[in-house]
Amino acid sequence: MSGSVNRPAFAPASVADDLSARGFGRATRRILFDKWIGRLLPLLFIVVVFPILDMIWWIAQNALPTMTWSTLTTPLYGDVGGLYGAILGTTYLAGLALAICGVLGIFGGMYTAEYASPRTATFARLFGNILAGTPAIVIGYTGYFLLVLYTGWGTSIAAGAITLSVFMLPWVFRTTDLAFLSVPPTLREASLGLGATHRQYLFRVGFPVAFPRILTGIFIALAIGVGETAPLIFTAGWQLAPATSLTQGTSYLTGLIWTYFDEPANLGHLLALSFQAAFILFVIVIGLNVVVQIIGARYRRRLKGLFA
Amino acid sequence: MRNQPGVARLSNPPGGMSLRQFFQWLSGAAVAMIPLYFIIAIVATLVYASGFQNFGWSFFSTNWNPNPNDPSVAAYGWFDFAVGSAITSAIALALAMVLSLGLAVCIVSFLPPFLSRLAAPVTDMLAGIPSVVYGIWGYVILAPYFSKVIDPWMVGTLGFLPGFNATPTQYAGGVGLILAIFILTIMVVPITTALVRDSLRSIPKELEEAGLALGATRWETMRRVKIPFIQRSIFSAGLLGFGRAIGETVAVFMVIGNEVTLPTSIFGGSTTMATLLVSQMDSAFTYPLLLKALVEIALVLMVISLSVNAIGLRLLGRKTVTGPGGIE
Repeated sequence: MSGSVNRPAFAPASVADDLSARGFGRATRRILFDKWIGRLLPLLFIVVVFPILDMIWWIAQNALPTMTWSTLTTPLYGDVGGLYGAILGTTYLAGLALAICGVLGIFGGMYTAEYASPRTATFARLFGNILAGTPAIVIGYTGYFLLVLYTGWGTSIAAGAITLSVFMLPWVFRTTDLAFLSVPPTLREASLGLGATHRQYLFRVGFPVAFPRILTGIFIALAIGVGETAPLIFTAGWQLAPATSLTQGTSYLTGLIWTYFDEPANLGHLLALSFQAAFILFVIVIGLNVVVQIIGARYRRRLKGLFA
Repeated sequence: MRNQPGVARLSNPPGGMSLRQFFQWLSGAAVAMIPLYFIIAIVATLVYASGFQNFGWSFFSTNWNPNPNDPSVAAYGWFDFAVGSAITSAIALALAMVLSLGLAVCIVSFLPPFLSRLAAPVTDMLAGIPSVVYGIWGYVILAPYFSKVIDPWMVGTLGFLPGFNATPTQYAGGVGLILAIFILTIMVVPITTALVRDSLRSIPKELEEAGLALGATRWETMRRVKIPFIQRSIFSAGLLGFGRAIGETVAVFMVIGNEVTLPTSIFGGSTTMATLLVSQMDSAFTYPLLLKALVEIALVLMVISLSVNAIGLRLLGRKTVTGPGGIE
């Protein structure tokens, strides 16, 4: 008895042992239930971990044996060649889209966090989040009508990149917004109290502090842009030769998988190629996510330091 | 200034704005509302290009018969695909909600701190994997496994239920509703888990402490105090997950079998609204009326996701939602 008095009542294991030893029926049952649910619930993580591991295993097994350095450096021609054209196309599309949505998103988020009235800010955030939830294929259809047909550009890198940037924008937008909101108010008060104008505060104090977090938004948007297929199917066209101008269509990594995933076995090279594209996508996206986690963790530590 | 109540707004002095300040406000507000412009542009384009004048109310029927050679018998009712969308998203969402409630509860209350710090990024990482990668994994790796192992087993054990009966030829390819539901579930789980987890973490600490101090176990505190407290957020997580599931195109297209009929069993091929937009687009390039019907379905999809997201976000009542990579 005396041993358990000083122990907190919610330390389950030991209390359960105590109570069961003394034959407390209902309390024992409750505490044992708590103990076992704490052991069984983590099994649900199999659902999360199994797909990742299974995916990594099979994609690596289908992609790596035939993957050489020349896979990355030769363009696809007919059904022979490598991924050079697709990698180049993805770089163009995602890079251009990132430039567009980066500028719009950073300025939009900055304004929402720092200048907008509470009502404007609420609506801006709501619409940002709604845009983030819009089905990609719907954005792709809109891009097809507005950019491919209406402007007369035809399917091209420019049309694809602009459509893609609409899909990526909300991620930059809302991370920038939150980044500025997370700057400690003490810093703002100190700088304004020392006589800084609002703009000086924004660019000399707020932006440097918020920058790592803005960077995570940009990386997330990049990961989404590299991995997205649906907005590009009808806007970016399809051309195997490496792209040389923005008005041409292009091949891209996700589109390559999309085009060749159900090739019959006699064209096994194309299937292997799409697995290699999937492998590259996987590495890029997971890599970007890991970078984001690291930057985020360092950022939180740094904020703690600013408060201390 | 910072939009919090109680913080003085330095940039707008009392006494109204000057003309210069007004234009500054206008240009700034214009930047903040960029997402709204895009939403308006999307809806306007789809309304403009859609065929409501052509089809009228016949669009709201189960009669889908895109006969380009004889326009007089052609019919474009979208209900069949609404059924496909509803079955896949609703079942996938139900499974995902059960799983993600368990996962979130586990991450917040039952894992030791170092594991729960590790678990969150891993779940979030699943949300970032490109849907086309899920698709090729499902089509090339999982489909043969489903046709050989999972489908016969499910027909054997659950075949007496309506919708679970099928002949081996019907699931020979392995692609079909059941695989689409499986893939969708895996794709929705990280999103709903992140939402529920963040809601659980935002509960005032005092509530949990009061529950524990009154002698409730961790599970009882969770079940009787914390989960009732975030009921609304759980509902809104379901809505947001539903919006994601119903709009998912690429991965579902690759594994659902794309048969433009109502499915007879859960193992058969089917079509959702989103996958129809892709699978019929090639013929739609040549047949303007079919293209208009597809645009109208895209508009329906947009309206559904718009309303589901708007309601979900209002119920959530937080500034933002967690996305891929676990950024808030």
